[in-house]
Amino acid sequence: MTKPTPKQIHAIVDAAGVPVSAEVATRIANSIGPAFEGFAAVAGTLPFDLEPATFLLVQAGKASK
Amino acid sequence: MSAEPALLLLTEVAKAIAEKRFSSREVTQSCLNRIKAWQPRLNAFMAIEADEALTAADTADATLAKGEGGGALHGVPLAHKDMYYDAGKVVTCGSKIRRDFVATTTSTALQRLKDAGSVRLGSLQMVEFAYGPTGHNFHYGAVHNPWVFGHITGGSSSGSGSAVAARLTFAALGSDTGGSIRLPAHFCGVTGLKTTCGRISRAGAMPLSQSLDTVGPLARSAEDCALLLGLMAGADPDDPTAIAGPVPDYMAATRGSIKGLRIGVPNAFYVDDLDSEVARVLDETIAALKREGASIVQVELPDQRQLTAACQLVLATEAAAFHKRWLIERPQDYGPQVLMRLQNGLAIPGVSYLEAMRWRGPALAAHLASVAAVDAVIAPVAPVAAPTIAESDVGNSPDAEAVIQRLTRFTRPINYLGLPSLSIPSGFTRSGLPVGMQLIGRSFDEAMLLRIGAAFQRATDFHARVPKSA
Repeated sequence: MTKPTPKQIHAIVDAAGVPVSAEVATRIANSIGPAFEGFAAVAGTLPFDLEPATFLLVQAGKASK
Repeated sequence: MSAEPALLLLTEVAKAIAEKRFSSREVTQSCLNRIKAWQPRLNAFMAIEADEALTAADTADATLAKGEGGGALHGVPLAHKDMYYDAGKVVTCGSKIRRDFVATTTSTALQRLKDAGSVRLGSLQMVEFAYGPTGHNFHYGAVHNPWVFGHITGGSSSGSGSAVAARLTFAALGSDTGGSIRLPAHFCGVTGLKTTCGRISRAGAMPLSQSLDTVGPLARSAEDCALLLGLMAGADPDDPTAIAGPVPDYMAATRGSIKGLRIGVPNAFYVDDLDSEVARVLDETIAALKREGASIVQVELPDQRQLTAACQLVLATEAAAFHKRWLIERPQDYGPQVLMRLQNGLAIPGVSYLEAMRWRGPALAAHLASVAAVDAVIAPVAPVAAPTIAESDVGNSPDAEAVIQRLTRFTRPINYLGLPSLSIPSGFTRSGLPVGMQLIGRSFDEAMLLRIGAAFQRATDFHARVPKSA
């Protein structure tokens, strides 16, 4: 996902069950936008078989090559 | 040895009590005297329990007189960040929402320190729900830096940093999810250990982000941190994420030389856009480590900005999930900045959150490959020394996220990777503010960081300096 717009934020937060005003939606978009931009190069590129628990294997030095 | 027992190191005072050179009552009273003098200006304590502390100290002394009580912290008074559940005690979590919350269980980390014989002095201030890097608290007021009043302590373990620096407690538990131990350690001139995810049980510690939360100590030296880590680390049936297996002898590690060790210095990111005084302290720290026999090697780390972004996606989402009920029922009871940041997490799609979680393994593998040739990496904790409370009081203004990002720039990547990091006092600015450096290690290799930190502290005295009287 690229940087979300205030309109998209409004819809997502509404769906989460905690509606916010248009002003707050704009503020949220500005606050989290950099995180989406920073992660953009990774998003949508991860291999099919990768799951979050891989982290624990790497941490324990047990990840397969 | 100091005539004022509160000025001793944790390891020194524990030994002095065990050898009956000081009673627990004398030590506890010494801390209470300092608390009385400093608290009005620092606001470091959430609750001071003087009578209970002295009663517990008397009990500790009586036990020792009978030849019992051989715990490593027997009779040592401590206070901790007010987010560690202690059955029967109010645990505010720095919030209005939990102002009257009485814990029914005791956190595993806290219980292990109690089992070692520690005495409770009270509880320490913190940022509301541990969600903020500056030390401001909308409900209970900002905590002040004991080195220069009016400057921030860093957060979220604000009271822990301030109280340890001012010698009000010998050590304090903090928690580190995005920098909350290392930032107060850096800004306040104390030693702070962010542990590897899984090293210490989080059972009974207030949650912020289950994937990133870590428990750890702020203390006066690396050796003090080693003592506390050894007491708290290890498996816990109440927290399946706490890893099993033997706990290393961290105290023994602090006695090792660093001659021949290889310490990496990042060639970018952690050395970019530094305040000139922070840059000077980094250079001086590297020079001191060289004098102690370490080899300094430049390392090229993977893109740290991506790690920071991934950390933000995980932290914001998990924090919002923990708080969702109160966001619906009691939004008016949050401070403006914490409310703003919790609302941010509501807007992150599940797929984005899970991508950030899925990438954690490959990101850690890439990092470990990049540092394979070194024993640890050294980097600043933050690009600046402590700013003033006024200039960093940004609330929920449009500037808030930028201020938070700037302060946490060098800490968040380490949280995302789940790595251990030891913040050590490394120098001072010309205006008298402390500057800390962080030693970053491999997963579960806290022993290496404590070894390097202790060697640095044998060669320098930054950790032993005490702020002037209140």
